[in-house]
Amino acid sequence: MLRRRPKLWKIVRLALLATVLAVAGFTFYLDFRVRSEFEGRRFALPARIYARPLELHAGLRIAQADVEDELRSLGYREAPPEGDAGWFSKSENSLIIALRPFVFWDGRQPAKRVSVTFEGGKVVALRDATGAELALARLEPLAIGGIYPAGNEDRVLVRLADVPKHFVQALIAVEDRSYFSHAGFDLRGLARAARSVFSDKVQGGSTITQQLVKNFFLTPERTLQRKFTELLMAVLLEIHYDKTEILETYLNEIYFGQDRDRAIHGVGLAAQFYFGKEVQYLTAAESALLVGMVRGPAIYDPYRHPQRALERRNLVLRETRDQKGITPDEYADARSSPLNVSKKTGTGTTPYPAFLQLVHRQLRRDYDEADLRSEGLRIFTTLDPRVQDAAETALAKRLAQYDKEKRFGQQPGLEGAVVVTDPQSGEVQALVGGRDPRYRGYNRALDAARPVGSLLKPAIYLTALSEPARYTLLTPIDDGPFVWKSRGAPDWEPANYDKKFHGIVPLRTALAQSYNAAAARLGTDLGIERVLDNVRRLGVDRPLRPFASTLLGAVELSPFEVAQMYQTIASGGFRSPLRAIRDVTTQEGRPLSRYQLAVEQVFAPEPIYLLAAAMQDVVREGTAQGLNRFLPPETAAAGKTGTTDEQRDAWFAGFTGDRLGVVWIGYDDNRAARLSGAAAALPIWGDLMSVLAPEPLVLARPERIELVSIDPQTGLRGGTSCPGATEVPFVQGSAPSERAPCSGAMDAAVEVVGKSVERAKSWLDRLFGR
Amino acid sequence: MRLVVLLAVLLAGCATPPRPPPEAEPKPEAPPVAAPTPKENIAIAGLMDSARTEAAAGNLAGAAASLERALRIEPRNPRLWHELARVRLKQGQHAQAESVAARSNSWVGEDKALRAENWRLISESRNARGDQEGAKAALEAASRVAP
Repeated sequence: MLRRRPKLWKIVRLALLATVLAVAGFTFYLDFRVRSEFEGRRFALPARIYARPLELHAGLRIAQADVEDELRSLGYREAPPEGDAGWFSKSENSLIIALRPFVFWDGRQPAKRVSVTFEGGKVVALRDATGAELALARLEPLAIGGIYPAGNEDRVLVRLADVPKHFVQALIAVEDRSYFSHAGFDLRGLARAARSVFSDKVQGGSTITQQLVKNFFLTPERTLQRKFTELLMAVLLEIHYDKTEILETYLNEIYFGQDRDRAIHGVGLAAQFYFGKEVQYLTAAESALLVGMVRGPAIYDPYRHPQRALERRNLVLRETRDQKGITPDEYADARSSPLNVSKKTGTGTTPYPAFLQLVHRQLRRDYDEADLRSEGLRIFTTLDPRVQDAAETALAKRLAQYDKEKRFGQQPGLEGAVVVTDPQSGEVQALVGGRDPRYRGYNRALDAARPVGSLLKPAIYLTALSEPARYTLLTPIDDGPFVWKSRGAPDWEPANYDKKFHGIVPLRTALAQSYNAAAARLGTDLGIERVLDNVRRLGVDRPLRPFASTLLGAVELSPFEVAQMYQTIASGGFRSPLRAIRDVTTQEGRPLSRYQLAVEQVFAPEPIYLLAAAMQDVVREGTAQGLNRFLPPETAAAGKTGTTDEQRDAWFAGFTGDRLGVVWIGYDDNRAARLSGAAAALPIWGDLMSVLAPEPLVLARPERIELVSIDPQTGLRGGTSCPGATEVPFVQGSAPSERAPCSGAMDAAVEVVGKSVERAKSWLDRLFGR
Repeated sequence: MRLVVLLAVLLAGCATPPRPPPEAEPKPEAPPVAAPTPKENIAIAGLMDSARTEAAAGNLAGAAASLERALRIEPRNPRLWHELARVRLKQGQHAQAESVAARSNSWVGEDKALRAENWRLISESRNARGDQEGAKAALEAASRVAP
């Protein structure tokens, strides 16, 4: 026994030493963690994605109501002309806009006041506050989403100096009264917390510092050991950092609830999300509402539980007054004001998930995923919300109608996709990935590769028209029965849509009516490889099987790929990669990358001109005639319908002077949809474009193209004395030299009379007021 | 309505007696490019000015951005495409310079001087790429347009 005592003592001493060492080590470890993590801690900020900014200038075709809509979606208030930026006031034919400051990719644009005058659907004048004429006014772009860190945490960082005093006062009053005096923990607070179990006082036990430590470093389990760690870390944090730093971090960290899948963090974003304003403009009442939410953002959600939120807010106001954070007058004022939260938009991480997917994919070529999710990059995109909304509406409306018309409404219903671009620059203005545009999943515009049917035919005719000595728009093409034999494959006998053959027809008619036999014969005559080579030059990257059936669209492309292909036709033979991004800057606005307008001339202008003119015929008198119900004839849109076997896919692709659109519809499981491109896809395109009042398509006529009057009976040179004579474009020297019998010396005379008739008619019309 | 047309034909007939045409050949018409607006768009003028200032200061990316901004307003303005081609040439993007100048030419219409300028620019960029043959051809095209 005696011999054992020293040993026991030794064990005790060792154990004590070990404990002290362990505690010291643990403290040391915690200290290290606190310092390194807090020091190096930068909030992971999502890449923020913006739509195109609306640029106002004299001559811009836009309705006043559309500008007002844009301002409202930017969170501008309709207000009398006074006060800070972020409002507009309207009168008949004009708007006064108090633009907020915004950092664009090319620098900061200060807050300024702009007056805009409208007339006849156009901006006619643009002036600044002094009445001087302005060349341009750029509205800030709409934020359309982000690429978020883990947990979809979203926040807008603020400086403590920007947060209104009454917000901080309220926070201190209800969350941690002795914040500015304690050392990280508060014994009275702990005692109060224990007592608060039995009372309805609002104070909790944790100091602001402890709350921050909890959110920052610890998991949410509630154990005594964790509480101890929290306390220790809070003290360490207070030793290393001053009160304002800790408070600022806290203000940026606090959780203010969910916007669907997006977590609202920090007072900066909370101010924007709940009140549509910058944090410095929060009123006392608004501040109190937010402070009240800190304890339980779901319980005191002002949208779901407005009464509870209001009571909580008033409680916070009372406490703040009691703590002398606000005067009794301010208190009375704030208490009587309504909740005032902005209308809930509830779009979650983005209202435009399909477009964002495209942006994300294009960004990933140049940026690390981790950087995109944490560096707060600012991404300026090409999305035009007005075009996007028109595309979404047109698609959803028509698909619902088609589903209803199919009496045995099958489930799931029809699906569809839309791509709209600017034909001159290749900028993507809208992208709809399905009938539910908010659905964040399968993006048919990018990922649904479907047979394109007749949409490939323009490549055949382009190949032909590239040889003006052999082919003009009037060259007779045989639409008789056609059989293609190739070794090792069954014979291929393409039939026409109307199950008839049409004999010899002019080339442009074969395209306008989308005759299959004619196109197959022409394509195989020209050489399948040559045609497919042109498909590739038009911008299709996918491998193409060198089969004759490929010519008639037995090739699967996504609507996006089709848009790329038609883009090249619409822009006169210049290929521009479709772009969704213009610029990327750092969080502070330093430019990182520009995605420049790039063009590559891949076709001579003449055959492209002829093809585009023939595609205008498709709309004027061919398979897409139905479009004339939607657009005035002077729009002169060009396009092509596409329908695949058993009508599984219905397509329409076309362009006007300022927009190119591709529409696909079908079933996801490839069932026969029994809808044709002309009957089903075209009306969606028509709805969409007519809302946007398109600019007429005026083709840039190359020097070597001449217009020749042609007699439709003979296909020879005609004149106005030939009934139905039309002007047809030819590459110089390729037009027929022979004159039609009907054309004579009287031609020009009649032409003169005709013009006078026009003039007299309009004079009479005016007289009779029609 | 028919009466109106009839009346109109009569009136027209009185107004302009038919004359035999001097030439029945179809005349090459005025190019279909939209006529330049009577007053040059001040937004375009402003952006072109800033592009020039930026280019002069060596900020070529900024100049290109300003021109692209202007092109979004007037995509068929051949002068803007031409200026952009100039910037691309200065940026050392010779292939782009050539394509963009060709794009300018597609909208140039009757502006022979600009067409020639574009050809000269194409010649310059071909030269820079070591394509002497092509450069010569472009220069010839330029002198054919505006000798």
